[in-house]
Amino acid sequence: MIENTTVLYQKKEIPIRILHLGFVFLAIGVIGSIIGFVVEPARTSFNFVVLIAWCASIGTGSLFFIGIEYLSGAVWSVPFRRVAEVNSAVIFTLPLLIVPVLLNIHSVFHWSHAEEVLKDEILKGKSSYLNPSFFVLRIILIIALWFLFKSLFTKHSRKQDFTFEQSLTKKNTIVSAVFMPVFAVTLTIFAIDWLMSLEPHWYSTIFGVYYFAGTFLAALGLFTFASIKLNESGYLLEGLGQDHYYSMGALLFAFTNFWAYIAFSQFMLIWYANLPEETFWYITRGTGTWMYFSLGIIFVKFVVPYIALLPQPAKMDPKRLKFISLWILFAHYYDLFWIVMPTYSKDYFVFGWIEISSILLGIGLIIVNFYYFANKTNLIPIGDPKLKRAIEFHL
Amino acid sequence: MNQIDYSVEPDVVQGSLSQRDINEAISKPLETKPTKLYYLALGISSTLLLIGAISLALTLYYGVGLWGINQPVGWAFDIVNFVFWVGIGHAGTLISAILFLFRQRWRTGIARFAEAMTIFAVMTAGLFPLIHTGRPWLDGYLFPVPNQHHLWINFTSPLIWDVFAVSTYLTVSFVFWYIGLIPDLATLRERTNSKVKKIIYSILSLGWRHSNRHWHHYEMIYLILAGFATPLVLSVHTIVSFDFAVSILPGWHTTIFPPYFVAGAVFSGFAMVQNVLIVIRKIFNLQNIITLDTLEKMNKVMLATGLMVGYAYGMEFFIAWYSGNPLESFVFLNRAFGNYAWAYWIMVSCNVIFTQLFWFKKIRRSIVPMFIIGVLVNIGMWFERFVIVVTTLSRDFLPTSWDYFVPTIYDIGILLGSFGLFFTLVILFIRTLPVVSITEVKSVLKTSQPVHH
Repeated sequence: MIENTTVLYQKKEIPIRILHLGFVFLAIGVIGSIIGFVVEPARTSFNFVVLIAWCASIGTGSLFFIGIEYLSGAVWSVPFRRVAEVNSAVIFTLPLLIVPVLLNIHSVFHWSHAEEVLKDEILKGKSSYLNPSFFVLRIILIIALWFLFKSLFTKHSRKQDFTFEQSLTKKNTIVSAVFMPVFAVTLTIFAIDWLMSLEPHWYSTIFGVYYFAGTFLAALGLFTFASIKLNESGYLLEGLGQDHYYSMGALLFAFTNFWAYIAFSQFMLIWYANLPEETFWYITRGTGTWMYFSLGIIFVKFVVPYIALLPQPAKMDPKRLKFISLWILFAHYYDLFWIVMPTYSKDYFVFGWIEISSILLGIGLIIVNFYYFANKTNLIPIGDPKLKRAIEFHL
Repeated sequence: MNQIDYSVEPDVVQGSLSQRDINEAISKPLETKPTKLYYLALGISSTLLLIGAISLALTLYYGVGLWGINQPVGWAFDIVNFVFWVGIGHAGTLISAILFLFRQRWRTGIARFAEAMTIFAVMTAGLFPLIHTGRPWLDGYLFPVPNQHHLWINFTSPLIWDVFAVSTYLTVSFVFWYIGLIPDLATLRERTNSKVKKIIYSILSLGWRHSNRHWHHYEMIYLILAGFATPLVLSVHTIVSFDFAVSILPGWHTTIFPPYFVAGAVFSGFAMVQNVLIVIRKIFNLQNIITLDTLEKMNKVMLATGLMVGYAYGMEFFIAWYSGNPLESFVFLNRAFGNYAWAYWIMVSCNVIFTQLFWFKKIRRSIVPMFIIGVLVNIGMWFERFVIVVTTLSRDFLPTSWDYFVPTIYDIGILLGSFGLFFTLVILFIRTLPVVSITEVKSVLKTSQPVHH
């Protein structure tokens, strides 16, 4: 146990210019969105739904990554776990983003209009689930659970930096085991509430899995980018390199395929059965200018990452990985935009300054969050008993 | 509670075995005379096989009218058995290919048997689509072979996708298994004293000399094949789920079917591997190679996949209500409280409730409880397919034609026969080829690791 203390780690502060960069993004995003909420509240709210789902993905996907590391006993990822812990703090921004949408709930969620629901037999049937008060209650509970697990993970992990206790790893393993079913249920409810219920008549049993596939990809994307960047600039430890990068590349590749598999399954089954209750969702996205956007998703989220990551050397090439991990992170935004925005604008694709300010706001939040939380802790879990093995890790 | 030391890599093999001990322990069953117990097991399984063969022969002679199928329930045991056995096969490829890609070294003790099991299970499964057509002598038309009628196969039929998917899966699994066997066959060739065996092993080991160059090629092809086999794990059971999900029948048409079937397949496959290996490690004295830690990890995988299956059940139920579609909600209420409610609750209790016992470390590490849970999982997974196929069909769109399916003695005979075929092949395998990969186990020995100073 004492052996771990021999790992030489010198904490380096993240330079302040990162924070400045983040503030620039954040300022433009906030100003743009405020003007947006004044000028076009409905459109801005829809953009915020995309943003909320994206930030929730990054945060909870990072928690899932941490959980998987503990449960599977993974070794290679230990020196980078702090990056995932820092990224998972993005969930703390969720309440700030959710409140403006809840204030505009009637312009986003059709089912929130009580008088419309009464006219519609199907919506009447599900009004015990889809109603504003239960909806708000659910999101509060879900976010509270996410906060709880996030703080448990981080608390134990940080404490280990000082105490070097192995029992903390054990504790976090138990937390992870409990987290997994909670994660599956909360993420599914979140996906149904915030994405699927935008078209309240539409339903698809795989939808939670679909959102999960994108969630994990987005979190992996940010994780990979930040890890490689930090490692290259010497914030982490000596001896981390290609063998570790390979694991990141392989995971990105695997989950790109997994996402494609789930997306294909959903599309193929709805297309083949051709039931009008289900197909209208794809028809909206397959007509007008949305058709090009829909076709684009195949390339953006599958073909490009697939080809970029297929060769073995590509999975360990830091340059390629940095590019493609950011690509994947934004591909998830593209995907969410594709799910959400056709409800706002059925006939044609919309993109303007409101959409841009939402994206900038998201980027700003991620950067500021990273700066703030990365400076609060060691970037290496120096007390983790697996750390030494992780540094010696070779394929 | 025993403390795990996270700072050292856990040993896969216990009891500080040397390389020679590994050779001895694994080759022993191949080099000694079988015991009475072995013949007894073989006798039982081949009797079952015979029962199945007779039932099948009578079916072929008289037609599928001998089965319990009726007007709305046109698919029953044939398709249930097919999906069940294809599912069993999945754990093999998961253990051998996916865990290989994930660099899970504990797989070495169980991978060989799991791969062999895949092949036997898929062979057993492959029988059922052929006989379910009712006139198996016409099955040749399932293959895209030009013929004098200028009839081309219907590429939009899931039955055809099955033919392609299952035959590809069988081929790749077989090649993967065989490639892994080559170094072991060479080892056996060096060990054997019998002339006949020597000739057979020599031919099968393809001139393997354990040379550096051989190993280099071997590792490369093994990795590539693992990469090939991985999407196949997903694709085969996905195609099987498409058999149902592309239809418009409520209860069959639901988008979660592909990943749900894959999770269920891995779930039942792990239960089967765990069951058989518990017996094998005891009889062949392989407790140090197929360790309790390995079994515990398998139980954890079963817990995880069991929860995934439970998630899918819950999701189907929720969406059936959420959709506001009366046909959907009827089907699911009927499953839980209708004419086949007993089958539904067998399924739920075996797959979702009993497996929760694996949350407890004590149960994950005690042989008898885990064996019983494994058996229950397989019962539950068989009933899952029964629930999906039979309850859905028995209450179709037209209430006047609703009917209740009762299996006949021939249905049950063929089901028993499928177990007979599978276990006969397994029992023959364990005395013909090394049941654990000798070379892979050696590679995870402590003595074969690079030494750190």
